[in-house]
Amino acid sequence: MTIKKRYLRIAHILFIALLLIQLLPDQATYPVYTSLLVKFAVGTEIVVLIASALIKKEESLALLVDIAGFLFILLGVWSLVTAKYNYLNPQLFPAPGKIIHQFVVDRDKIWTNVKSSLLTIIKGFVLATAVAVPLGLFIGWSARVGSAATYITKFFSSIPPIVYIPYGIALLPTFKSVSVFVIFLATFWPVFAGTMSGVLGVDKKIIDSAKVLNVGKIETLFKVILPASLQQIFLGCNQGLSVSFILLTSAEMIAAKDGMGYYVKYYSDFGDYTRTITGLLVIGFVVIGVTFLFNKLQNQLLRWKH
Amino acid sequence: MTTNKIEIKDLTVNYIENKRSFNALNNVSFGVADGEFVSVIGASGCGKSTLLSVLEGLYAPAGGTVQIDGKELHGTGTERGVVFQHYSLFPWMTTKKNIEFGIKQARKDVKRSDRSKIADEYLTKVGLSGFGSKYPSQLSGGMQQRAAIARALAMDTEILLMDEPFSAIDPKNRVILQELLLKLWEGDGSEPRKTVVFVTHDIDEAILLSDKIVVLTAHPGTVNEVVNVPFDRPRRRDELVRTDEYSKFRNRLLSLLYNDIAERIGGDEVVL
Repeated sequence: MTIKKRYLRIAHILFIALLLIQLLPDQATYPVYTSLLVKFAVGTEIVVLIASALIKKEESLALLVDIAGFLFILLGVWSLVTAKYNYLNPQLFPAPGKIIHQFVVDRDKIWTNVKSSLLTIIKGFVLATAVAVPLGLFIGWSARVGSAATYITKFFSSIPPIVYIPYGIALLPTFKSVSVFVIFLATFWPVFAGTMSGVLGVDKKIIDSAKVLNVGKIETLFKVILPASLQQIFLGCNQGLSVSFILLTSAEMIAAKDGMGYYVKYYSDFGDYTRTITGLLVIGFVVIGVTFLFNKLQNQLLRWKH
Repeated sequence: MTTNKIEIKDLTVNYIENKRSFNALNNVSFGVADGEFVSVIGASGCGKSTLLSVLEGLYAPAGGTVQIDGKELHGTGTERGVVFQHYSLFPWMTTKKNIEFGIKQARKDVKRSDRSKIADEYLTKVGLSGFGSKYPSQLSGGMQQRAAIARALAMDTEILLMDEPFSAIDPKNRVILQELLLKLWEGDGSEPRKTVVFVTHDIDEAILLSDKIVVLTAHPGTVNEVVNVPFDRPRRRDELVRTDEYSKFRNRLLSLLYNDIAERIGGDEVVL
C-alpha cells in the first residue's frame, strides 16, 4: 500500500471537524464533559493511526477507517444537537460526553453485569452445543431415525424459546438457571438441526473414502462425519448465538437481579436515560465482540474450505 | 496352473436405484495376476465402476465370488489402496496429513515419527514436495490426484484399485499423470510391482498403462473380451502411438466397444 492509501483518508478530516465542533461554546445547562469526548476522539484517532501503519490488508484498513469516520460524524452531529445547540430534550438525549462519563463512572458495575450476562450465555450455549452436536451426529448417522428426527426438530425449533420463560420460572429454583435453560433451548434446536442436516448431506464419496481406509465406526463419526458437517453445525451455532442474546437480555429485563438487560431496564424505570443509552451501547459492543470472536473461531476451524 | 492375485468368478451384482433393482454385472469372470496392471474399459453404465466398488469392498455382490490370494473377499480392507475420481482425500486435512492418515490406517507397525518421513518421501515422488501443508481445496484437480496416488502408494499395499482417477483432469495434465503413474508403477525393478485394477473409458490410457484390458459390454455388464496388450515395457507414449501396431490394436479395441454400442442403439453411425 502506498503512503497515500494508508494515511490520506476522509476519516482524518472528520476527526478534525469533530475537534473544531468541540471549540463551539456549550449551551446545555448540564455538565456535558466535552474534554472527555475530546479524549475519546483523540484516543480513537490514535488507534486508527497505529492501525494504518500496521494493517497489511487494504480492505481491512479501509473498513476500520470508515467505521472510525462514521463514529466521528455521529459524535459531531450528536454533540451539535445536544451540548452545542441544545435542540433536544436533555433528559432523553444526553450529550455524548455525558454518556462516556457515565461509562467511566459505572465501569465496575457495567463489567459485573457484562460478566454475569456472558457467563449465562456461555453456560447455556456450551452446554447446548456439547449435547446437540454428538446427539445430532449419532441420530443423523442412523439415517432412518434421521428423517423422523428432522420433523420433531422442526416442531420444537418452531416454538420461540422466549415462551419457555414463564414455565422455566415455575420449573427452576433460580432466575439464573431459567436464563441458562432458555438459552440452552434456543441453541440446542438449531445446532441439533444443523448437525443432522450436515450429517445427512455428507457426500457419499467421502464416506466411501473413509470406508476403504478401514476407519472405525466411532472414529468415522468424529473424524470424518463431524468435520464434513462442520459448516452446517456452525450455521446452527450462529443462529443459536444471536437468538441467545435476544433471549438473555429479554429475560434479564423480566426478572433478573443482574446482567446487561437488567441494567438497562432498572435505570430506565428511574428515568435515567443516560445510563439506559450507555447500557444499550455496551450491549451492542458485547454482542459484536462475541460474534466477531465466534466468527474467528469458525474461520479457523473451516480454513480448509477455500 | 498359477493362482491369480485377484480371481473374479461369475460375479453378479444387482444395483438398487429408486427402489428398483437392476442387474449391473452379470457373470463376470477374469483373473489378475500378481504384479499385473489390468484396465477395465467400457461405455458409461457398463458397470465398470460397480465392479471396482465390489473389489473395494464397498458393494456386496448378489452372486459369484471375488478371491484375493485365494481368500474370499469380505468388506473393505487396507491391503487394497484406492484412488477415486473425486474426494479420495479428506478436505479438512492437509495433503501431508491425508497421506499420514493413510499410512496410519494401513501400516500399524509404522511409528508416528516415521509417518511424516514416509509422507514427505511420497510427496516428493509425485512431484508435490512443498505442497504438504496445503489443503486439497488449494490444489488443482491434477495435484489432488497426485496426492491421492501418493497416499495409495505410501500405504504400501500389494493391490491398487483406481476408479477413473484421471477422468476429471484436463487432457494435458491427464497425459502427465498417466506417465507419472506408469513411471511409479514400473519402478526401477528393486521392488515387486503392485497389482493394479484400473477403470477408465479412455482407450489410449488403457493401452499405455495396462498389461491386459477387460472390455465390458453394458446392460447388464458382461465381459466382452479380455485382451492382452502386446507392447513391451518400458513404454514411451510418443513412440508407441506412431506405430501401425498401435493403431491396429486401438482399432480392434474400438470395434469391440463400437459393435456393442451399435447393436444396442440399432444404427451404424456411432460417435464415441
